Amino acid sequence: MSKEKKQKKPKIKLGRLEKREARVGYLFVAPWIIGVLLFLLIPLGQSFYYMWFNIRITPLGTNFNYVGTQNFTQIWLENPEFPQQLVTYIWQTVVEVPIITVFALIIAMMLNSKIKAKGFFRLIFFLPVIIVSGPVMNMLVSQGASSIPALNTQSVIAALDTFLPYSVAESIGELFSNMIMILWYSGVQILIFLSALQKVDPALYEAAKIDGGSGWECFWKITLPTIKPMILLNAVYTVIFLSSNEQNELINMIVSAMFSGTKEKGYGYASAMAWMYSVVITLIVLLFFLLLGSKKDVYDRMVKKRIREQKKEARLVKRIERRGRRNVKKIERARKKRNYRTYDGSGDD
Amino acid sequence: MKKKVISSVLILATMIMSLTGCGSSGNGGSADTNGGADTVGEDGVTTEDITLTYWHYEDETTINLLAEKFMEKYPNITVETKLISDMSTDLSAAAAAGTFPDVFSGTDSDTALANMYWRDITEYVENDPETANLMATIEEYGIGKFDTDVRYAMPTWYQPSAVFIDRNVIEKLNLEMPRTDWTWEEMIQLIKDATVDDRTGMKYFGLGYYNRLDSLYGIAACSPEERAIKGEFGFNGEDFDLSYWAIGEQQFADLKLGGYVAPQQNTQEMEDWSGDWSTWFGASGHVAVFSEGFWSYQNLWGVDGYQETYGLDIVPYVTPNVVDEKEHNIIANMYMGGVSTSCQHPYEAYLLLKFMGWGVDGWKARLEIYNDESITNASGVALKHSNMPVPITLDEEVWEGYKALFPQDEDHKAYWDDYFDSITRPVPYGWYSIAGYWNFCDQYFNNLAIHDKVDQGVAKAADYTEEATEQANYYHAEAMISYFGPGGYNVLSDDDLAKYQAVVDSFAQ
Repeated sequence: MSKEKKQKKPKIKLGRLEKREARVGYLFVAPWIIGVLLFLLIPLGQSFYYMWFNIRITPLGTNFNYVGTQNFTQIWLENPEFPQQLVTYIWQTVVEVPIITVFALIIAMMLNSKIKAKGFFRLIFFLPVIIVSGPVMNMLVSQGASSIPALNTQSVIAALDTFLPYSVAESIGELFSNMIMILWYSGVQILIFLSALQKVDPALYEAAKIDGGSGWECFWKITLPTIKPMILLNAVYTVIFLSSNEQNELINMIVSAMFSGTKEKGYGYASAMAWMYSVVITLIVLLFFLLLGSKKDVYDRMVKKRIREQKKEARLVKRIERRGRRNVKKIERARKKRNYRTYDGSGDD
Repeated sequence: MKKKVISSVLILATMIMSLTGCGSSGNGGSADTNGGADTVGEDGVTTEDITLTYWHYEDETTINLLAEKFMEKYPNITVETKLISDMSTDLSAAAAAGTFPDVFSGTDSDTALANMYWRDITEYVENDPETANLMATIEEYGIGKFDTDVRYAMPTWYQPSAVFIDRNVIEKLNLEMPRTDWTWEEMIQLIKDATVDDRTGMKYFGLGYYNRLDSLYGIAACSPEERAIKGEFGFNGEDFDLSYWAIGEQQFADLKLGGYVAPQQNTQEMEDWSGDWSTWFGASGHVAVFSEGFWSYQNLWGVDGYQETYGLDIVPYVTPNVVDEKEHNIIANMYMGGVSTSCQHPYEAYLLLKFMGWGVDGWKARLEIYNDESITNASGVALKHSNMPVPITLDEEVWEGYKALFPQDEDHKAYWDDYFDSITRPVPYGWYSIAGYWNFCDQYFNNLAIHDKVDQGVAKAADYTEEATEQANYYHAEAMISYFGPGGYNVLSDDDLAKYQAVVDSFAQ
């Protein structure tokens, strides 16, 4: 067996068709590879380098002045806005992600049910993703279109303030004032949930119905467990979206620091900000991963256990075989020396 | 399959081409550089074909027409213009990409100085006879020199602060029009007298503002005997004294708290007062005095039919002085323009800067353009109604032509003439002329939200005077060392460096 393991797999020479297919495959992923190299890895490396410098870009060239961790200390000690915005961002993201995800799931389930003009409604919910981006969104927000006029946010805050700390109540109240905007952010998530819902085997629902399962029970026992990986996907997507859209104050701060002409700021300062921000985003993604990451279910555990048992049995069989072979050799040696005896002491002869 | 491969290759090729397009960059500065081997004409201007780039904040149509006039004058020079949308973003991106303009006129001098965008143009300015006939404060206060001996920039676009009065409101309230060379106290009194709430209709407010009165007061308080203020926050060229600002700030806050100031546009207060959220107080017909930008007249009140529509009769008044002096300093918007350090043809670039800014020829070309109201910009507005600047030159011919662009009827001409005669001593806002001003505002003044606190009555302006003065001195000294010390232009003497360093050190302690 060990010899078998050591044996290399024979190289299979690709035929012309396979080679062509492989080339086409590389061709298809080439834009992604180029994109990642040009717009992710290289800038990532550059910004990591920049954050240790004070950088002045003059018309005659770029001056790098090594400052060590000074950019970081300046951000934390002399820019009170950054830590303040960071705390606000963390709080808002942690609260908004579940709201957006749950809303998207509800809408996706409604759109997946048997209703008239299903396609039209799907279009309506996806439309904000196409239209409401960048400057359009900024204009709508500045004109108060992101809030529900009939909703008295102050009353909500006052009501929450009776049993929650004011800062928490205020943050939740802010959510209500941005409710429409939050709902606008759900287009892509709705699509993802919709595709997941459509892949759930109808036979499962049929079987559950035959056994007398209600819609409520079907949701908790069939729908939710089946689409669980998509919940994590949507949560991560929402975190990334909220962290990098045009309404995000931190992104605006980083951009304005990057192009700021003042001597402390510039590319180095902005890079330090961006790296700290990305660490925070990673931690939030990790948090959602820990909360929503799929834990192995009972069936999965049973399958794994059975595989382990099978392996154990195989090992046992091998051990017995080895022992058998050893005994055979031992008997043969004894026979050659003519001192082989059976249990009753009579021997072979 | 074959089709798929071909289409993939095409897509990839398109992507690579577009990416290459993104990455391409110009050569920065002059498009045609000839390594300084110019053939120079008698006037000192190159006879080679060159291209100069001019970036600006003005009306695009006006600047493009001016560029054409410049090219008519110098046929071998091609001028390419670009409107700046955000100075620090556009210029730092251009510097990074190697496409920095040869000449630019901007609003934030700290950005230009911190990154050494401007080159020394002292020699050109000092040897140019036309600069002798500019408004006196430019040379007297070294506007564009930033308290060094080197000239880095010149004011290119000037609009003075202005106070406007609605004569109709004054008449309705049975008040007397003030004299045109009024004092600060007379203005405050008029604001108070013109605030009338008879509870039968819309309340009359004494003041509507765009410019806060404390900004005006800082300069209006200038009395040469007391302290020669040449910048905001009581700046005298060496250090600050915010006690002047504090008086104006408190006075303005008291007016606001006393109900003498009209609500701002798009506020609940405005809706409560006028019944319409989006009303501008300047079109309400119920405000007597306006502390507005000069452009408000050109862009709105000065447009045919506007005043008739809203029942207004607007006349300009000079920002009054605290002491009763006819000729006094006034605060002003002054874009600073300079020749970039990367420019290959500095003299030609200086000529372009002058033509676009303060030059007599440039101004004559401007007047031609402004007088032809058939020429409109992209918004369909005649160019004289699109942020037209005020001449910095004192050339009589230019001024005669300029004054003619404003109302000439008997009722109004005297007001305008008096106004223009009183605005010959401009002092720019801090962000145009004081090193470190932005850092002070950004990191201290605005951070503490001093205006809001004083306006709401939760703090007194005087409480901040001492600390704010120390902070302002520190930020200025730090900026002077950084911009003009060995790490920057390196033009400060050892004594100056030691002086600024002492301020920084004493602050750190």
